[in-house]
Amino acid sequence: MFELFAQSAFSGVLAGAYYALIALGLALVFGTMRVINLAHGELVLLAAYVAYSAENKLHLDPLASLPLAVAVVGLTSIAVYGLLSRIKKDRELNSLILTFGLGVIMTNAILMIWSADIHSTSVPWHHDAIILADLLFAMNSEVFFGVAGLVVVAGLWWWLEKTWYGRALRAVASNRDAAKLMGINPQFTEILSFAVAGLLASVAGIAIYSAKVIQPSLGHHLTVKAFIITVLAGMGSVPGVLLGGMLLGIVENLTVTLASSALQELAGMVLFLVVLLVMPSGLFGRVRRRG
Amino acid sequence: MLHINGLTVTFGGLVAVSDVTFDMREGEVLGLVGPNGAGKTTLFNAICGLARPGSGTVELMGKNLLSMPIHHRARAGIGRAFQVPQPMHELTVRENLTVAQRFGAGKVDKAKIEELLDVLKLGHKADMDAATSLALTEQKALEVGKALATEPKLLMLDEVLAGLETTGKRAFLDTLEEVRKRYRLSVMIVEHDIETITRMCPRVLVLNFGRLIADGSPDQVFNDPEVIRSYTGGEPA
Amino acid sequence: MNKLKIPAVLVLAYLVLPLAVNGNDYVVSLIVAALTIGGIALAWSMLGNLGGMVSFGHAAFFGIGSYASALLTIKAGWPVLVSMLFAGLVAAASSIATMPALRLRGPYFALSILAYAEIFRIIATEWKGLTGGAAGILSIPRLPEIMGIDLGGKIGGYFVVVTLVIAMVGIYAVIRRSPQGLALKAMHDSEDATRVVGVNATMLKALMLVVSAFFAGLMGAFNAHYINFLEPDYAFSGSWTTLAIVAAIFGGYRTLWGPLIGALVVYLVDQLVFKAILPQGHQIILGALLGAMVLFSPTGLTPLIAKLTRLQRKETANAAH
Ligand SMILES: Nc1ncnc2c1ncn2[C@@H]1O[C@H](COP(=O)(O)OP(=O)(O)OP(=O)(O)O)[C@@H](O)[C@H]1O
Ligand SMILES: [Mg+2]
Repeated sequence: MFELFAQSAFSGVLAGAYYALIALGLALVFGTMRVINLAHGELVLLAAYVAYSAENKLHLDPLASLPLAVAVVGLTSIAVYGLLSRIKKDRELNSLILTFGLGVIMTNAILMIWSADIHSTSVPWHHDAIILADLLFAMNSEVFFGVAGLVVVAGLWWWLEKTWYGRALRAVASNRDAAKLMGINPQFTEILSFAVAGLLASVAGIAIYSAKVIQPSLGHHLTVKAFIITVLAGMGSVPGVLLGGMLLGIVENLTVTLASSALQELAGMVLFLVVLLVMPSGLFGRVRRRG
Repeated sequence: MLHINGLTVTFGGLVAVSDVTFDMREGEVLGLVGPNGAGKTTLFNAICGLARPGSGTVELMGKNLLSMPIHHRARAGIGRAFQVPQPMHELTVRENLTVAQRFGAGKVDKAKIEELLDVLKLGHKADMDAATSLALTEQKALEVGKALATEPKLLMLDEVLAGLETTGKRAFLDTLEEVRKRYRLSVMIVEHDIETITRMCPRVLVLNFGRLIADGSPDQVFNDPEVIRSYTGGEPA
Repeated sequence: MNKLKIPAVLVLAYLVLPLAVNGNDYVVSLIVAALTIGGIALAWSMLGNLGGMVSFGHAAFFGIGSYASALLTIKAGWPVLVSMLFAGLVAAASSIATMPALRLRGPYFALSILAYAEIFRIIATEWKGLTGGAAGILSIPRLPEIMGIDLGGKIGGYFVVVTLVIAMVGIYAVIRRSPQGLALKAMHDSEDATRVVGVNATMLKALMLVVSAFFAGLMGAFNAHYINFLEPDYAFSGSWTTLAIVAAIFGGYRTLWGPLIGALVVYLVDQLVFKAILPQGHQIILGALLGAMVLFSPTGLTPLIAKLTRLQRKETANAAH
């Protein structure tokens, strides 16, 4: 029994780091523009498909396709920004609907380009098992991206806290007009946040392609996961995203272990609703009045 | 009929209303004056529910207002006209009054709406969009109209005369006097123009930096050295 | 002109259209599906227009309505039409479970409703004893025969759905003109002004949610008896929401008829044209349409056409002088 618990907690933690990767871009864009990008999951999925094509056409290891994925997804992400910035009225509602529409476009474009088939990497290393302490089982790619998730979260946190760009980003997030007076170009920082979100989505997409299976309808699913984690984290909190991701990962894995895999999603949704309704500022967010 | 005791409202570190205590009798017309930023609007907000006081009590005819949500306060008898006119957007003038009546007074009485339109001289614009087609005087009239449509006991007017030129102001004052008598209202009015206040209000309260620094007849109040000092920009003693 | 509109719509709906398409079962079934989506779009628009809330989970209420009506007829043996009405009520009641979400705004509300939809779908899948699980429910009773018209047939189904959506438009029109509807409309931009005159916004929004859920549930119930088959992934499919949103945004979600017109145009064009050109991924056009509408005509097609015709009339008037 203990072994089962330990295994599901361990899998949950690894899944959490990978979930955090998916959610970071969404949280970052929300932080700077107060916009939920409902096409974020599709950006992640696009990166996964780029990795798939790179593997099959160029014979690259998924990890090596990162630059290509960053180029494609980064540009797409900036294009999303380009459209979003054209919204004039009712930004909150219209940005939701616009990004929702963009998500539909991307899902169907992926379907048209890559067909509805299910894919996963055929590089064996990624699926090989490693066993830790004679007890805990994981795939190489899961461990790799679990660690990568930690590194990326730490890196993003450092970037936001310690570099000039990061500070500019946070300044725009907290007060657009004041930031302008300080000589920061808000438009530039917003583009920057979308570019970085594209980068984060690329890492996440490659993680998914390496460790899981992909199919065109996954994008929407990923957006929802990312949003759940962002809410668990408290909107805009980067370390919170990691903890939120892990919480979700652990809850899902325990549900599978203790109940049934059919209820995995249910557990996540219930957790999401409970946190949203009971603690609207998130588990790890600063207390902030909403609206 | 209105009892306010120790009312304090803070925004972060700023004390916008500081330990304000006063009573108001039924039928009274009370002037509220003070320099810009003195806390007059915030005091109104605290009474009608748009600002949450840190401490103190507000009672209207024996009912504790602070424990009520905003929409109950309208039913309890508070009618509020905003300093910056806030028509209900996307509605016509008549619809503005209808909504105020239905929810604030809990009834639908078309004759009363027509009467208000008539008294406030808004009849010719009754079916126009309230947010976009009114001149300033009309916007102010609609502010008062929305408050009146809720059938208040206490009418709170926040600078409804500001920005009107002399003749417009005089006409509007007459209108206000007429509705006050007709509906037997108690009125609390914020106004910068001392002459107007002196004419309208037998009793005046002065706020400065959130504190109530004077309470009395216009004569007493406007000759009070502390009040004069507050208007010439001095810090409170 | 406005006085003629209603009789014109009725003649079109009950006489012209059925005569024109009767016999072409494929087209009739497309129109029925379009109107079903139009009904959801209308329910969605009510909440969006009057409640100021975007829901990504209206499939939840649609699905609940479907299952409730199917189960009431099969397990309890209720007559179909009674079950449908009651199923609407069940969907409305289920919306009470989602009410805590009313405290939330914008994206929080939108996605929390989506979470509810997921939860309801999973329950429908897992509660096998009641719903038959993923295998679904077969042979759901057809709509009955009334006054010699077989409502269970293709054209009969059309008459039922067209009656439902027109009734919904009628009720919506009444709501929009009521003080409650006006207050909700005003809430959107003038929250403080509305609250200080005594409007309890939360209560009105909750009422709107209940009405909206009832209508979505009713459409679900109709659909269940029309196609006689249900499974969770179908009844709770996100497509019901997506199509309804596209239709509402395209037609103009703040207008009375926009959602219905939008649904007819979007769905029929999608099925008859785009699907023929792009057998796979034809919904990409819907996404593009949605994006283009938000960017270029956020108020939707119906107001756009009204604006254009007004312009044109002005020009003709000018030319005449
Ligand atoms: N919502 C708020 N958040 C923070 N500070 C506020 C808020 N509302 C008012 N204040 C501050 O509280 C103080 C009192 O403001 P208030 O509007 O009550 O003054 P006032 O007496 O109505 O002034 P005026 O004559 O200019 O209308 C001011 O310093 C103002 O900046
Ligand atoms: Mg003021």
